[in-house]
Amino acid sequence: MRKFLVRAIPVASIILFILIMVSDNYLKHSYSENDNVVKSIELIMNDVNMENWDEANNKIADLNNAWMKIVKRVQFSAERNEINDFDKSVARLRGAILARDKAGAMMELSEAYEHWENLGK
Amino acid sequence: MSEGLVVAVRAIIAFFSLLIFTRLLGKQQISQLNFFDYTLGITIGSIAAELTVDLSSRAWPHWVGLLSWALLGFTMEFITMKWRYAAKYIEGEPTIIIMNGKIMENALRKMKYNVSDIMEQLRNKDVFDLTEVDFAIIESNGQLSVLKKPEYENVTCKDLNINKKKSGISTELIYDGILIEENLKQLNKDKKWLITQLKSQGIKDVSEVFLATLNPGGSLYVDKYKDHIKKILDIGDYKGPY
Repeated sequence: MRKFLVRAIPVASIILFILIMVSDNYLKHSYSENDNVVKSIELIMNDVNMENWDEANNKIADLNNAWMKIVKRVQFSAERNEINDFDKSVARLRGAILARDKAGAMMELSEAYEHWENLGK
Repeated sequence: MSEGLVVAVRAIIAFFSLLIFTRLLGKQQISQLNFFDYTLGITIGSIAAELTVDLSSRAWPHWVGLLSWALLGFTMEFITMKWRYAAKYIEGEPTIIIMNGKIMENALRKMKYNVSDIMEQLRNKDVFDLTEVDFAIIESNGQLSVLKKPEYENVTCKDLNINKKKSGISTELIYDGILIEENLKQLNKDKKWLITQLKSQGIKDVSEVFLATLNPGGSLYVDKYKDHIKKILDIGDYKGPY
């Protein structure tokens, strides 16, 4: 029993550490209704394409909420630069939507999607 | 997102990973480390530190780096243990720099040592006169081993034909006022015997004792909490803050 514990504790710890460190690739996906970043980005893209600026502006809050939930889950494994860059993209997106700048908004949405994709890579 | 919390979690991962890997790498004493082992230790420690505080990149690649270095170190250890030829190549070998009292100048040059280095290391070995030295060897970890000429060696009991009892390793019987019954049993003694011994030294209870040890020769060492020493000898050479 003692020998088993001597081996089992380090092995279990290493497995736990690996799971924590590579978990971002799995935890960034949606597991409930209001934590779907990709869906939020797509919805905002549609609104921007159709120039529904008020709708797009309302949906930024949903995107932000979804992102905050993801960040809480991936913060121990994800790269902080990628998280910060996503935040910046969302901030610029808000500005582009307020200015009704279709090209700028699409660029920021595309970049935000890229940062989300890069989480866990 | 709390940076402090992330660093704390990463520190736990790095700390325990390092602990596990270093246990795998063996129990070589610091003094036995050769230069490569030393740099290996520093590098692994540095990667663990980066894993903890470098939040600009994921923990995973740092951890893989840590694992790779540990595995390479482990592989090297395994190779040097199983294959002596490789061990000589990787770890180097001892070099004789004084033979029959004569300094081997070529060996010194090859080892990039000068005479003052050798004199310094000899002094560390309590040798102040080169005429006392028969052999001196620089070991692969950089330490100097010295064999003195027979006339300068210390006299031993064997030289004087004196029989000396084995002292052996003493075992703790009481520590911090608590009796260690396991050790008592190991030495085939019981609590009653110990209490009788303590009473003969004027001790009424086990809780009065800080440390008690017994050696295989049967001599009992007892240190009480109350030592009745009023003035403790100060061996400091400079008056500091304490």
